[in-house]
Amino acid sequence: MIFNSLTFLAFIAIFLPLYFALKGKARLLLSLTASYIFYGWWDWRFLSLIAISTLVDYYLGLSMERENEEKGRRKLLIISMVLNLGFLGFFKYFNFFTDSFVSMLQGFGMNPSVHTLKIILPVGISFYTFQSMSYTIDVYRKHIQAEKSLLRFSTFVAFWPQLVAGPIVRAADFLPQFQKDHDFNWDRIVSGTGRILWGFFKKCVVADSLAPFVDQIFAEPNGFASVNLLIGVIFYSFQIYCDFSGYSDIAIGFARILGYDFNENFRKPYFSQNFSEFWSRWHISLSSWLRDYLYIPLGGNRAGKLATYKNNMLTMLLGGLWHGANWTFVFWGFLHGMYLIGQRQLGKPFGSMMNGLRFPKGLKIGVNIALTYFFTCLAWVFFRSPNFATAMDVITGIADLEGFGFVNVMNKFTVMKGVLLIGILLVIEVSDLRMRWNSLAFRNPLFRIAAYAVLLLLIAFFGSFGSGAFIYFQF
Amino acid sequence: MKKAYWIFAVFAVAFLGDRIGGFVLSKITKESQFRYSRLYGSSEGADVLFVGNSRGLSFYQPYCEEKTGLTTANLSYNGMPIDLAVPLVMDYLDRHQPPKVLVMDISLLDSVRMDNKLVFQFNHYSPNSERLSHLLKADFPNDYYAGRLSHLYRHNSEVFQRTFFYWKKSDKDWLLDRVISASMVDDVDTQKALRFHYSPKMLEKLDEMVKYAQQKGTRVELLVNPYFPAFVTKIENMDSLKIDVSKATGISVRDFSNAVQETEAFGDYQHVNKVGAMRYIDRLIAEGVLK
Repeated sequence: MIFNSLTFLAFIAIFLPLYFALKGKARLLLSLTASYIFYGWWDWRFLSLIAISTLVDYYLGLSMERENEEKGRRKLLIISMVLNLGFLGFFKYFNFFTDSFVSMLQGFGMNPSVHTLKIILPVGISFYTFQSMSYTIDVYRKHIQAEKSLLRFSTFVAFWPQLVAGPIVRAADFLPQFQKDHDFNWDRIVSGTGRILWGFFKKCVVADSLAPFVDQIFAEPNGFASVNLLIGVIFYSFQIYCDFSGYSDIAIGFARILGYDFNENFRKPYFSQNFSEFWSRWHISLSSWLRDYLYIPLGGNRAGKLATYKNNMLTMLLGGLWHGANWTFVFWGFLHGMYLIGQRQLGKPFGSMMNGLRFPKGLKIGVNIALTYFFTCLAWVFFRSPNFATAMDVITGIADLEGFGFVNVMNKFTVMKGVLLIGILLVIEVSDLRMRWNSLAFRNPLFRIAAYAVLLLLIAFFGSFGSGAFIYFQF
Repeated sequence: MKKAYWIFAVFAVAFLGDRIGGFVLSKITKESQFRYSRLYGSSEGADVLFVGNSRGLSFYQPYCEEKTGLTTANLSYNGMPIDLAVPLVMDYLDRHQPPKVLVMDISLLDSVRMDNKLVFQFNHYSPNSERLSHLLKADFPNDYYAGRLSHLYRHNSEVFQRTFFYWKKSDKDWLLDRVISASMVDDVDTQKALRFHYSPKMLEKLDEMVKYAQQKGTRVELLVNPYFPAFVTKIENMDSLKIDVSKATGISVRDFSNAVQETEAFGDYQHVNKVGAMRYIDRLIAEGVLK
């Protein structure tokens, strides 16, 4: 089930009144059932995966807590990792690794006869697997206690607002919130509704309006003039941001209405001045997961320069692979790894050079933001392209500057609409730094009514309602 | 419960805003110089009525009017499907003095490249036309009802953007005005073959439109507009399309696919630019299509 569908409207119309009418275990049971319906609407067969993952991690968590020996605890953790990563590896990466292995053998002149399987990728498997894994790791590390209630734990793993596309919530943050009933609260309804509307604006208005142009460009970049390829890449950077952060906004908004608090997943990432800042603003729940469960255990930045670079690169490569079973995603991660390393190496000399130029502070910030955005877009080309050949066609097509003029801009009306919508988005985001729209809406009822009504009108006038799923569902 | 009032207030303000916004936009639609606004808003007729998809835009009106002294109207739109062209032409014939000649490029008989979704982009014209309204309701009921619920939604389309763009200016010179790139010229051999995907039902609709125009005393000319010369060989079933159209309508199709030869006269493989459009109009005059 997707948020931007009539089915979901019916789902929420039934779920919300029931949710607030019930208390205690009955409410948890309703939440769990609703979550399984929400997920099973796509393909009920894959509910078994969530159920198995939940049951195994629940019992392993309890066993781990009872186990005093470090060796025994470690063994239980390994079982959990093998199971979770085994599911993920099989459903997401089996064909990828088989194909890559075959290609490698072919490179050595061999011609193996290997059959790949027709495997359907379960929606959201990367998200709930990481969520469940974080629980067992935290129990193993004794950062949290094992959850005693299977019902609570199952609801934590499958909670519908963030089940299929995050944010990835941590057991330490989220499980305690299930300990008590959350009463119906108007303040939460107010602020949650605003967040949901803003999410729908980003998804239906901005992301889905940009999508057709982007799809056209990346389907066959060779036929397009340079200017169109450039517009396609810029549009994609905003499409993926609005699509993904829009989903997070909607998830956070619904959770807030239900009485739960999720951590922020995006904080205006395209205003970052360097790449470590970018990763503290983009898909925060994943980047912090990778930091806490991969980068720091690898040694982080405590073991010298080279080890830090190695850890940076390894983390980003795995971050890339997490997104999808394709070498283009791995390369996207590699580029970001290189950016982080480059920043550590060149950041200081570049800063000194900028200081030497005596630019005004605002200009310096602008240059940093523009450079970070430029390199981010370069990496997005690989992320979006189905293969390296397409990515190179896009990059070289832009670089050769053939047909770089306004007259060659195709679908001018789509482009004008896209530019206008990105403009609206940026104006709201930039002004939010000073105005804090959400708190203003919260304090001033008249402003809130006007703001929410304007969002509804913008969605009606500019929204695209036919394109369906969110990009991050495939991850 | 007092705190719940703001939700009703949001919906009330949104509803009011929607109706005010919808009213303003429908005024713009009425006043616009865009072709469909003139179709539904003006009773002024034309001597020549052109119809087609984006290739129909090569019926370059300013040059045609200058050369022939005839007045023209063009109902062509990018990706126009026959399902939409038929009600638009019929509405034109009902609302205006029937034109002397109806000139149509038959490449819109293609269910793959033509965009049937274009129908719901005409939502803001649906209050003016029973035919459009009926088509919209049958093919896109969700959009039809959403357009009734929200008048802003009715204007949520690229067609409305163009309506707005041509609010105060004529759309007669709407044409793809660029020169085909050198790389496209070089790559023509590597292009995929083009095939028209048409059905007996589409031919029936075309025939219905042709007969309707003929009943009103309008001569009908069915044409194949120019393609980039080296691209013509890529079209697989042009001959069978021409034969089937002729059989269905009783009108023999005039083939101008090779009528323009210069590379500089094309914007891409399927569209002439302004230079090509003028060459093409000259040819139509010489062949007696426009007289």
